[in-house]
This record gives sequence, structure tokens and C-alpha cells, in this order.
Amino acid sequence: MLTYVLFALVVGSIYALLAQSLMLSWGLAGLVNLGLAGFFALGAYASATSTTWGHVPVPVGIALAVVAAAAAGFVVCVSTLRLRDDYLAIVTLGFAEVVRIVASNEVWLTGGTDGISGVPVLVPRSAGLGFHAGTLAIVAVAVAIVYALQRRLLLSPWGRALRAIREDQIVAAVAGKSVVRFKAEAFCLACAIAGLAGALYGHYTSYVAPDQFQPLVSIYIFLAVTAGGKARPAGPVVGAYALVAFLEATRFAGELIPGVSPVQAAALREILVGLGLLVVLGLRPEGLLPERSQKAPAP
Amino acid sequence: MEIVLQALANGIVSGSLLAVPALGFSAIFAVLRYPNFAIGSLATVGAYAAWSANTAFGAPVLVAIGAGAAVAGLTGIALEAVALDRLGRGGPLMKAIGSLAAAMILENVVRFGFGNDLHAFDLPLARDVMVGPVRVGPQQLAGLAVALAVMAAVWAFLSLTSLGRSMRAVADNPDLARLKGVSPRLVSLVTVFVGAALCGIGGTLVGLDASLDPLVGGRILLSVFAAAVVGGLDSIPGAVAGAFLIGIAEEFTVLALAPAYRLAVSFAVIFLVLSFRPAGILGRAAR
Amino acid sequence: MTFLDRRRVLQAGAVLAGALAAPALLRAQSGPIRLGTLTPLTGAGGSYGPAMATTVRRAADEINKAGGVLGRELLIISEDDQTSPEAGLRAIRKLIDVDKVSAVIGTWASSVTTAVAPVCWESGTFLATVSGADSITLLPHRGYLIRTQPNTTLQGRKFGGFALEIGAKTVAFVSPQTPFSDSQYAELGKTVEAGGGRTTKLIYDDKKTTLRTEVDAVLRGKPDAIVMGGYTNDTAILVRDLYRANYKGRLLGFGFAINKQLVEALPAEVSEGILTLSPSAAEGSDGYKHVARLLGTDSPDPYSCQVYDHLNLVALAMAAGRGDTGTVIKDTVRTVSQGGGERVDSAVEGLKRLAAGAKVDYDGASGPCDFTPIGDITDSRFRYEEVKGGRITLLKIA
Repeated sequence: MLTYVLFALVVGSIYALLAQSLMLSWGLAGLVNLGLAGFFALGAYASATSTTWGHVPVPVGIALAVVAAAAAGFVVCVSTLRLRDDYLAIVTLGFAEVVRIVASNEVWLTGGTDGISGVPVLVPRSAGLGFHAGTLAIVAVAVAIVYALQRRLLLSPWGRALRAIREDQIVAAVAGKSVVRFKAEAFCLACAIAGLAGALYGHYTSYVAPDQFQPLVSIYIFLAVTAGGKARPAGPVVGAYALVAFLEATRFAGELIPGVSPVQAAALREILVGLGLLVVLGLRPEGLLPERSQKAPAP
Repeated sequence: MEIVLQALANGIVSGSLLAVPALGFSAIFAVLRYPNFAIGSLATVGAYAAWSANTAFGAPVLVAIGAGAAVAGLTGIALEAVALDRLGRGGPLMKAIGSLAAAMILENVVRFGFGNDLHAFDLPLARDVMVGPVRVGPQQLAGLAVALAVMAAVWAFLSLTSLGRSMRAVADNPDLARLKGVSPRLVSLVTVFVGAALCGIGGTLVGLDASLDPLVGGRILLSVFAAAVVGGLDSIPGAVAGAFLIGIAEEFTVLALAPAYRLAVSFAVIFLVLSFRPAGILGRAAR
Repeated sequence: MTFLDRRRVLQAGAVLAGALAAPALLRAQSGPIRLGTLTPLTGAGGSYGPAMATTVRRAADEINKAGGVLGRELLIISEDDQTSPEAGLRAIRKLIDVDKVSAVIGTWASSVTTAVAPVCWESGTFLATVSGADSITLLPHRGYLIRTQPNTTLQGRKFGGFALEIGAKTVAFVSPQTPFSDSQYAELGKTVEAGGGRTTKLIYDDKKTTLRTEVDAVLRGKPDAIVMGGYTNDTAILVRDLYRANYKGRLLGFGFAINKQLVEALPAEVSEGILTLSPSAAEGSDGYKHVARLLGTDSPDPYSCQVYDHLNLVALAMAAGRGDTGTVIKDTVRTVSQGGGERVDSAVEGLKRLAAGAKVDYDGASGPCDFTPIGDITDSRFRYEEVKGGRITLLKIA
């Protein structure tokens, strides 16, 4: 039971990193990244291939993952940022699918649908509970660092400019802000965080394969961020842990309903997740932790 | 040369199947100004409704297509009225994310009711015939004809009826339309019905051509988006042109690159179009 | 708060903890024996998982009606892997850590199996899988993993031999990208070329709703036979488009793709003459018919047959080893699956014999179920079947 709880907390922390990524792009800059799973995958692959096959140390692999995801983020957003935000949503959705297709078919580069097993771990697996606890400590530190960074960013002139752009980009542009540059910076930074999440996930499960990065993961993260609150650094973190608790709780709910077949129970579980998202969006769109209104800085 | 002509013919047929749901998506986008990610699941719902009408009640194919359209349309209205409409306060992106959740719910409602098993319409399968150097299937031609007829009907509805003209007015300028006494709520609901019904028809046509399972709509989802984006998102003729472009591009991928890279090519097309014509082939300039 | 000093709180806590722990201990000794199924109920593998989960539940019911294992009932807990290693991993942690299952049956996608296998061998949980990728049995699983799906080398060879047998000289291999498509094609090619033929390959996108251009590309090579490497949903589309294109050669496919679902979803004249191969027990074995009875069908799919065997092997191994842990199953499974003894084809029968002190050798619905040290089956016969008049009919078992 303790292993299960530790495991769920590690997964929750990985989800928290993804949620932090989404909070930065969506909550602060208003950029909807439906291809979160793609950047998650890119990070996982960059670190898994370089450490497993290239034998570079794990920290270097993680750094590569962050850089690769940020670079991909730049390529994806640069052609769409000048357009309406809807384009970015659809283009990123497609990007995630392209990542999956390339990962499945370019066997020489990614191991194909077989995936990469035996990815080096952060803490020796032989440590038993210590493996889960140690990994949890590392991933939680990553979440805490991103949280601290986001708090600072939010209060910095950069963060204020970003929110001004989100509220009204024409006014912001008139005020002399380079809208596209701010948005691109926020998007790349967000993608870097997703890449970090991917690298850590691969080093925890020791396995990376295309099937891990399905669009469903992006939907889960949207649920986490909406539930927690998308404009405050604590929101996505709270939302992600709540989401994992909710996802795991639905398993037990399914067992309580008599007379449904396993496939119907599985369908009900996903219906519950979808309904959960709709209800939160409808009843409390600002999430559990709504945005704090900020005083204008003293003149 | 025959090879190229054949791929072109195949692309036109699959493009026509994409065009119908792409029209639905663009209509909803043009009037309600949000990307509806539930169109894939609405297509699945329509396909299952049509299939039930055909196999359980023995409805002929055209009637079944009508049933699929009606059920998908009503489902779309129900979604809009019960869930999505109230999310509009938070902006169009909230509705988009809500539609993503709705897609997940609809797919699993179908799964709950019908299971995951493969189903097919109760129809014999016709062999292809040669038209000059090109091989075409009679049923594919029928599908193409239905798709073209639906597109023509949508065009006629938009340009000849007062409701259709109201829809275009709201799409062009909602404030001006309101001043002229057009009820935005009525227009929204009619648009959602028409858009969702078009998705239902698209799903049914795919189900007729292939077979159906709860993921059938999801399979065409990305291609439909690609078609709509290439066409300019809110342009009705653009969606049709985009659908044919994407359909043909996907078939040529099989010849020129590798069949597995079909969707990657769709998105390469999007990148190219957006880089050179940011508003899509026939869309309006970015606002 | 004087009446609640720290010592009392600690004492109360200890009592409470003891009370909570006691039923858990009791449960481990005398309650039902808990086993898990982890099959795809949603996602791309969704057409297979439901029947697999149902088969295991019904087979467990039969064992329970006959008195259970070691005098205890079997309790089956079914989880959905969503055809995703990420979701599969979350599901199996719950099965192992919360439900305390001693064995997990039925992982289907090779990626899911590869992701969950380390969790199983580290926690001492037995894993029985139907995944096909060759890499799976090469994992350092210390004996905690068996699979009943023949590896791709064997299947590729069998398909090659089958193609030659029906007189094909040019064989096209048409498949989506799977972990075994490459190695299967390599073996198929070797066999066909050794017999004087030649092969071509085309990898398609299994999410595409029409494969007309792909079919055109394949038919330009004028193949006498086409080996289809996909699953039910995409194979149905491929078969339809081949029929429309007036293809007159022979079609060969895996038994798990050319199944009852596919045959029922296609008009009889379209599926007519498709040849299939699936792992099988020797002729006369009753296991296959037993699964057919459990599912109320005349042709159960190969995966259902395999999970039926998994459950029976697990039940017999626990009875033979007189224990309910994954380690007991790992240590004794080969004593009930092979090595001589009374041949049995169901757990109910085998449990009776074991109780009477006999040694048993289980021959199941999917094959003789004899395993190599790394968990692959040593040998399998194959059911050669042909679709005739909308029904899957047996040609031979060889």
C-alpha cells in the first residue's frame, strides 16, 4: 500500500510539472498547448536515448531533454504566434501526433514501437521503497524549483507584461511590448518544463515508448490545471495531485457498481473524468485557487 | 501516370469524406467562434445512430444517413445547451476545452452502449470498375455524390434561406447582426445543429466505406482539423478546398513518402500554408 | 486535554493499527485468492480486452464452483490498461499494492507488458502475457513472466511455409508498424526465398480509414499471396479495399485479426477464402472447445484461449506448490505445464488429479503450454483455418 501511495505521488509530481508547463503557457500567456504530450514525449526520448544508448550521465540527459523540448516549442509556436490563438491549439495537437508517428516509425532513432527499456534510473531500483521515496524526493524538488521560479517570474516585469498581453494584446503592443517575443519566450519555457517532466518520467519507469504519450495525457493535464487554478503557481500543483487522487479513486468506484461488465466499468471511468472536467469548468472556471488581483506597482 | 491519376482519384474521394465534417467544424467556428474538439465523437455518434437504423430497423442507406445526421445534430445541441454554452463566459478557449471533455464522454457513452466490437452496415460490397485508366468504386462514387449533395445543400441553405443568411451575418459581424434583429441564440443553436449533423453524416460515410467502432470519429479528427485550418478555420468554401487538398496530400504521401507519415504530411501542409498565407487559403485575415 | 496524554494516544494508535492490520493478515491466510487481469478495455486494443477479461472471470467461476484452489475461492479483479503503458503502470500498481494479487493475467500491447514487467518481478508477482515482441522474454524477469503467444520468428516462418504450401511465389507483407513487424517480415522473407519465391513489404498507418492507394501500391508487385500483419480493425479495412480492387490471390492473416468480429463485419463473399494461423493445442484437446463454450461462440479468438490457459496454469501451480504467492507460481508453473504426468486440459480436472496426488501436464486451449527457461513456449502447433461462407472453418492442426 505504501508503495502504491509513493508511486501515485511520483506520478502526481510528474503531472504537476506538466501542469506547471500548461499554467505558464495557458494561464499566463493565453497560449493553449494541446500537444503537451508531444513535448512530454520529446523530453523523455531525448534523455532516454542519450543516457541509455549514448551513455551520457543522467543530469546531462535531463538537460538535453529540456533544451530539445524548448527548441521544438520554438519551432511550433514561431509560425503560429502571429495568428489567432486557435491555430496554436490545433497545430500543437497535430505536433503531438507527429511526434508519436516519428517515434513509432524511425526505429533507428527511437527503437520504434518496441520502445527503449532499461533507461538508467535516478535511484537504484534495488533500494525497494527507497527507490520510490528517493525518486519522489528528486521529482518533488523539481516541482518546488519550478514553483519558486514561477512565483518570481509572476511578480517580475516580464510576468506583468505577459499578463497584460493575455488580457489585451493590442493595448500591450501599443504600450511598446513585443507581443510575439513575450509569447514565444513563455511558450518555449513552458515546453522546457514539459520536457523535464518527460525526462524524469523515463528515468523513473525505465521505459519509454510511443504509446505512453497519447492525447489523453494532455486532457488529464487540462483537467488538473483547470481544477487547481490556472493563473497561480500553486494552482497546477494542487490540481495535479488532486487529479491523480481522482483518477485512482474512479478505479474503486467502478468496482462498486454491480452488473456492469469490465468494459462498461472502464467506459464509466472515462465518462467520470470527462464529466469532472465539465463540472469544474462550469462551476468554478477559475479553479480552486483563483488568480489574485495584483496591485499596480507604486509609481 | 496512371499511378498519379489513381492516387488523385482516391484523394478526391477521401477528401470529399473529410469535407463534410470539416464544413461542420468551420460553420461552428465561424458563428460561435470556438474550435469544437467534439466533432470526432459527434461523427461516431452519428455513425452508430445510422448503423442502428440500418441494421436494427432495416432503414435504407439514405434514411440511415438522415438518422445519423439528426441524432448527431441533436446531441450537438444538447451538449451546447447543457454544458458548453455556460462555459462561454470564460472565453472561447474554455469552450474548446469543454468540448474536449465532451468528446471523451461521448466516445465512452458509445462504448458503454455498444462495446468495442467492430460493426458494419448491412450492405453488399461492390467491386471497383475501370473508368479509363482509373479504378473507382461504385459505393465510393455514391459517397462522393452524397458528400457533394450535402455541400450543395449547405451552400443553398446559407445563401437562399433567411436563417442561413442570418448565420452568415452573425459570422461576419455579430454586433451588426444583433442590431438588425437577428437572435444570436437561435442562430447559434441552428449552427450547432447543422454543424454536428454534418459531422454525423461524415462519420456515417466513413462507417459505410469502412466499418465502425468507438474510435471511428477519432481517426478522421486530425485530418478534419488540418482541412479546416488550411481552409482558414471560418471559411465554408475554404473548408471544402482544404479537405480536398489534405485528402489528396495524404494519398500522395503513400506514393511519394511512406504511408505511415500521412498525418505528418497533413501538418507539414498546415505549416506551409500558414507560413505563406497566414489566414488559410480562403480565410479572413487574423484578428 | 489531560486525559489524552501522549502515551494513551500512542497506545490507541497501536491498537487501531493492529485492528486494521489483523484482517489483512487473516485475509492473506484464508480469504479468497486474488488474481488480476490487465487487458485493454479502451484505446486501440479495445476490441480484444473485454473478451479476455470475461473469459478469465468465467473460467474462475468454474474453478470456484468445483471447490476453488487450496480450498479457497479465486477472486478476479479486472483493470483497464487503456492500451497505454502509462495507464497500465498505474493500474498494475493498484492491482499489486492495494489488491495484493499474486498474478496478473493478460497484458496485450507489448509496450504495456514491457512497462509493467519490472514492477511484477520486483514485487514477486507472476505475469502471464499474450504480447508478441521478441524483446519481452529477454527482459531480466527472473522467471516471473511467461507468454503463450508464439514469438515472431516462429510465426514468420509458419506464414512463409503456409504461403509456399498454397503455391505462392510472390508474397507481399502488409502491416501497420508493430514491435514485431520487422522481425516477422525478416523470417517470412527467409522462408519464402528459401522456397524460391520473393517478398515485398508495405507498412501502413492503422488509423487510416481507407487503404486504396496502399492496396494499389501492393498490387503493382502482382503478389500471389498477401500476408496481413495487422489487427482486426485495420485488417477489416484492408480486406475490403483488396476485394474492391478485384484482388484474386490468397490472403493470410493472424488468427487474432481474422476473428469472429471481422468475419461478421464483412459480407461473406468478401472474407471468403482468407487463411489464418493461430497457436493451437494438439488435435483432440478439449481446451479450445471449452473456451468456445465459456464465451458462447463457435470460434473463440486466440487471446481468449491464451488467458484461459494463463488462469488454469496459475491455479494448478498454486495447488501444486501449496501456496498462493507469485513466487510459488513462478517456482512450480513448469511442474504442471510440462515434464510428463497425466494430461489435463482444464484446471478443474487438474486440481482433482493434483489433490489425488498425481502429477499433471497441462495442455491448454492455445497449445501444449510448455515453457523455455525464459518463458517462451517451446513448441506450438498451429490451427490452420479458412473462412468459408462467413464462418471460420478448421483446415488442419499441424
